[in-house]
Amino acid sequence: MKLWVYVIRRLVLLLPTIIGLTFLVFALEHLGGNTLFLAQYINPHLTGTAREKLVEELTAKFHLNDPVYIQYFYWLAAVFQGDLGTSTTLGQPVATGFVWFMPNTIMLTLVASVLTWIISIPIGVYSAARRDSILDQGVRVATFTLYSMPVFLIGFALFIALGTAWHALPDQGNIDPVLLPTIPDAWFDHTNAVSYPTHILPLDAFLHGDWTIAWNSFLHVILPAVALTLALLAGIIRILRASMLEVLEQDYVRLARAKGVPERMVQNFHAKKNALLPTVTSYGYLVSGLFGGAVVIEDIFAFKGIGWWTTDAFLNGDVGVVMGSTLVFGLILVVTTLILDILYAFLDPRIRYE
Amino acid sequence: MSDALEIRDLHVRFHTRRGLYRALNGVNLRLARGEVLGIAGESGCGKTTMGLGVMSLLPRNASYPQGQVVFDNKDLVNLPREYSEQVGDRFSPKQNERILRRVSKAMAPIRGRRISMVFQEPMTSLNPVLPIGFQVGESIYVHDPAQLARRVLARSKATPELTRELVSLLAATHGDETSVRKFAAEHDLAGIEEQALFVWSRGDIHISRKEKAIRALSGQPMNFVERWIIDTVVRARSIPWYLSRIPILSRIVRRVLMREGNRKARELLTSLGIHHAERVVRMFPHELSGGMRQRVVIAIALANNPEIVIMDEPTSAVDVTVQAQILELVKRIRTSVSASFIVISHDLAVLAEVCDRIAIMYAGRIVEVAPTDEILHKPLHPYTQMLISAIPTLEGKPVEGIQGDVPDMRAVPSGCAFHPRCPFAFEKCREVIPTDLPHGSDQLVACWLYEGK
Amino acid sequence: MATVTESKARFDELRLSGKVFLSNKTAVVGLAIFLVFIGDAFLVQVAPGVLGVQYPDSVVPPQFTQTNPECVGTAPEAPSFNHLFGTIQYGLSGIGCLDLLQLVMKAIRIDVAISFFIVLVGAAIGTVVGVVSGYFGRWLDEAMMRVTDVFFSVPFLILALAVGFVIGRTLVNMALALIIIWWPLYARYGRSLTLSTKEATFIESARAAGSGRLKIIFRHIMPNVLPPVLVQISLDVGTVILIFSTLAFIGFLPSNALVPELGAIASIGLDFVALGDWWPVIIPGAVITMFSLAVNLMGDGLRDVIDPRRRS
Repeated sequence: MKLWVYVIRRLVLLLPTIIGLTFLVFALEHLGGNTLFLAQYINPHLTGTAREKLVEELTAKFHLNDPVYIQYFYWLAAVFQGDLGTSTTLGQPVATGFVWFMPNTIMLTLVASVLTWIISIPIGVYSAARRDSILDQGVRVATFTLYSMPVFLIGFALFIALGTAWHALPDQGNIDPVLLPTIPDAWFDHTNAVSYPTHILPLDAFLHGDWTIAWNSFLHVILPAVALTLALLAGIIRILRASMLEVLEQDYVRLARAKGVPERMVQNFHAKKNALLPTVTSYGYLVSGLFGGAVVIEDIFAFKGIGWWTTDAFLNGDVGVVMGSTLVFGLILVVTTLILDILYAFLDPRIRYE
Repeated sequence: MSDALEIRDLHVRFHTRRGLYRALNGVNLRLARGEVLGIAGESGCGKTTMGLGVMSLLPRNASYPQGQVVFDNKDLVNLPREYSEQVGDRFSPKQNERILRRVSKAMAPIRGRRISMVFQEPMTSLNPVLPIGFQVGESIYVHDPAQLARRVLARSKATPELTRELVSLLAATHGDETSVRKFAAEHDLAGIEEQALFVWSRGDIHISRKEKAIRALSGQPMNFVERWIIDTVVRARSIPWYLSRIPILSRIVRRVLMREGNRKARELLTSLGIHHAERVVRMFPHELSGGMRQRVVIAIALANNPEIVIMDEPTSAVDVTVQAQILELVKRIRTSVSASFIVISHDLAVLAEVCDRIAIMYAGRIVEVAPTDEILHKPLHPYTQMLISAIPTLEGKPVEGIQGDVPDMRAVPSGCAFHPRCPFAFEKCREVIPTDLPHGSDQLVACWLYEGK
Repeated sequence: MATVTESKARFDELRLSGKVFLSNKTAVVGLAIFLVFIGDAFLVQVAPGVLGVQYPDSVVPPQFTQTNPECVGTAPEAPSFNHLFGTIQYGLSGIGCLDLLQLVMKAIRIDVAISFFIVLVGAAIGTVVGVVSGYFGRWLDEAMMRVTDVFFSVPFLILALAVGFVIGRTLVNMALALIIIWWPLYARYGRSLTLSTKEATFIESARAAGSGRLKIIFRHIMPNVLPPVLVQISLDVGTVILIFSTLAFIGFLPSNALVPELGAIASIGLDFVALGDWWPVIIPGAVITMFSLAVNLMGDGLRDVIDPRRRS
């Protein structure tokens, strides 16, 4: 029963943050006057009277001559209706671009997260339990090095080793260019390279029964996912190991040993559960880096997700996308943090049974 | 009658970055069967280290350069001591950890079963994410799972007629244990006597409810999987490897047996004075008060009828009223349980309440051992005398503290460790470590003042 | 006033700390590597000729018009005896190939300086805000928490891109963008430290004794807040470089700005990956890793010294 109260309370606390986020994005867009904001709606190639007319329309629509707080209101209303401007690089409304590319990024981050947790739990637990053993020292060295590497180096190392040099796995894009024309128009938009209905190519191909495309596009996911996993692993294993070490010093673990519980059970049962809890919280702090990492990885591997689109837009001066990304990523991060918090509250009996 | 436990000349050292701490410097102690022995001393004198040392629960930077802990004719600290003797000064905590793992494996059948321990802090002794019932039942699950299986089996085999017979037997013999056991053996219902006797001995429910409860012990249904698991465990008298290693199966086994563990936990908790044990068993430690948590920890310690129970400062972390409750509990337990107790405390008043004999520790050595009355009224060692006079009493005599400080255990004074603070110290005290000198019929004191008396 | 015995005790503590730190071999290695980086930065700043470095603030001098006569061809050359790190081509800027070692040496100075700049300024602003907010509490505290929440809600990289977009893509602006991202961390950290110190009873006794608020902050709270913050700063110097070099790698700095920064160099190198030329990206990346590694090792050693539990 108390869990619902907790969830509601967290949701309520969320609102100021989201509102603050909108303030932030609004401020960024209007910092240097209205030019940046207008650029979201005006095609740079547009000149002359057509442009002036458009500017007039926009000024009226968004009340750009009125005080700031009124402008904010109209801007917010537009955002609520899904209007984030138009992308000059894509030629489509920004919101549409997000709908197209977000699933890929979500899939990438989810796959990386799942892989990370699956790998890091046994390693972290065992490394802490067998402290200072050869395995533990190896793990510490490896994670330490990975942790000190910039994300682009990890991505690039994989890229060049497994992709360009050995051609073991595909390293660019979402599908082999050769296969591109073979995808039927029924569920694939060739101009924009977007598949339907989920916009995730391997999944859509699977749903439509096209095994060649499905397999090939799946292969293209492997390297980016592995790169992102490696980047995340280092952080998680460190935290898990430290948490586990701390738990193993605790009184209740000592009592379990004093009870005669076999060491294996002490570790996997008594200690692991307690060690995982703070790790979930710490993971929440890492998610911000996870998304940032996804951006870089997508850039290196030309993997068509929001990250790739945003960096492309950034280099090409596409305002709408950059600002929209800030808003969208912000919302995703806030929601993710909320989910993690609720998960934690659910798992920790101290909170759940208050 | 042989002793339950004997500690001979035990030395323990802690290797830290700040130096070598000599925590125990030749502890000699005998624990007789069935007695309650108290260990008193200021903080830092080594009492907790001694308790943990017996169980080999000391951290990896602890070495055992010398000494033995003899239990059931075996030396419990054999392995770590041999390692210390081998490496001498080149003691490495990392290497020691490997030795400790072997020690843990060797000690596992003893810990929690033949020797158990109650820790100081009830707040942190219990695992916050596991329910109480699990933590209590686990003791039995780990050491004697067959017992749990037998109970389930007995319930499923018992017929309503048999249980009715059992009820009349109990009423006729007024709950005589032997007859109930004979009854269970005769009818191949091993495991039911415990449950029936528990219900019968409860003081808080009416006799008609007791009868109903005992009759309800019959005809418990079991599905195919449970039946197979229970049968196997009972026959094998333990959990065979194929049931404990295979991942999914081991989970099911644990679930089935721990359900029974919860029931047994309820019985144990009720016998320790916890009301509404059915509810407590499902709760988590943070939902209980300190006194209740301490009872839970004591229940865990007693679950397998150990021979020795070590209680480390059982009353120090709770307030005075709870302290009194726990002392009452300990006094009650010792009459119903055949174990020997070691109670460690800095509070002599606490020890005076429950102990038969009290040992006084100072700077890692036992300086005096005597029956409680003798210690309190005729203390021999100067340190003991000062401890006694430092206790506030109702008469309102002036409370005298002991001048000086507890010595830094990295540099224990030569000879008698107490000599810097002792008003009676003379030449020999500074040079020679006092041996345990007998005094009177049952006192031992390590002080040169009593040499030749 | 510290008595003689107090001063001696503190000195002994320092010596023990030093001993603990130096006994940690990896921490010493980290320190050594870190000193190499500092040494390079210092030399390039003060006496660039010693290392054979010219025009330390830019890839090439501003008035440069012709290709570098040192190397030939139009593709980067692999590491060799002549060029220990190989060469790299700034082909798109019409500059041709440059010795990578020299470039890296210049870049180290810039990266190290920026790392310190960001962390020190961010920490200064953040800690002050955090301490004030934590001490005075109530609505000020709530407001600050909400503000930092907002900054935490956007992933680092994205926020930096957005800010960079708005204020312009220069080196200094990149540092500023990162300071904007970094201060909330210290605000939170300073606040939590302040709160836990505030709970300590000696504050209560100071208040009871009538100390003024400002005085309490300086005499009591700061000494408890500063050491952990300093440790955090020392760790963050190694972390922040990972972020802004990645930013530069994505392309925060326009390539015609010709800034010698490790991430920017790597991003130029990315153009040549099709030729199988790994070193223009890997080498700057490895240098960044070395720096971060060194700082992390030192930080671990520092933590060993400061955290009382790890002392035994």
